[in-house]
Amino acid sequence: MSASLKEPAAGVQIGKAGEREIRIERIFNAPRERVWRAFTDPKLVAQWWGRGREMTIERMEVERGGHWRFIVPSPHGPQGFEGRFREVSPPSRIVWTFEWDGMPGYVAVETVVFEELGDGRTRLVTTSLFHTIEERDGALSSGMAEGVADSYAALDRLLATRAAP
Amino acid sequence: MVQYLPRLDAAFAALSDPTRRGILERLGAGDASVSDLAASFDMTLTGVKKHVRVLEQAGLVTTKKIGRVRQCRLGPRRLDAETAWIANYQQMLEERLDSLGEFLERTKGSES
Repeated sequence: MSASLKEPAAGVQIGKAGEREIRIERIFNAPRERVWRAFTDPKLVAQWWGRGREMTIERMEVERGGHWRFIVPSPHGPQGFEGRFREVSPPSRIVWTFEWDGMPGYVAVETVVFEELGDGRTRLVTTSLFHTIEERDGALSSGMAEGVADSYAALDRLLATRAAP
Repeated sequence: MVQYLPRLDAAFAALSDPTRRGILERLGAGDASVSDLAASFDMTLTGVKKHVRVLEQAGLVTTKKIGRVRQCRLGPRRLDAETAWIANYQQMLEERLDSLGEFLERTKGSES
């Protein structure tokens, strides 16, 4: 399961650039080429993406417009995740959309940037932008906007606590 | 704004628990009874009731007794399923990156 990393090849930094953006930075003790392969080779992805659970990669077309779909077992049954690649620029940048079957219509756009640090380590910057259903429907009434602000305030606090050492 | 603070604290505490986030996600997909929830989370009725009560106090869930069944739904704040989903997403992503770090350590030197 989700043992937190004891010795950090990874420093976690959580910031917030926009109201609906989650940004996580990690430094990995591996050259960029390896980190890139771990992200783009389905055989390697299958070994870590499921967070220690044996997962199935149904599709993974690593190219612009390509689909991906992963199934990860959970105590509540298999969970499906999927999306499309929007950008694949080896070895430095991937953009893909991310949806979970359990919340259809809630789409996140994940941008992953691979930065070579020059000392055999790689900084990974993941930025996730959430697109809400309300936004797409253009139904953002003022009451709803208040609800959004409320929700995000709660979320900010949650994230801030997680970020604390 | 001030009057929201206790509720925000409660919401925050409510969301800090993975089972409760799971319950919110489940309710995001549709209303469910306490026993439905107990079944899908493989928990006792008493355990689920405790979680539901915390969520209810935070204003994230409302419940209504219909006959002998207690029905749960999201609310009164409409967007909390999304908040829960984003919080859950954040946690998944962090765990996934932990897992990637472990993978890279484990396979060091074993790749061509």
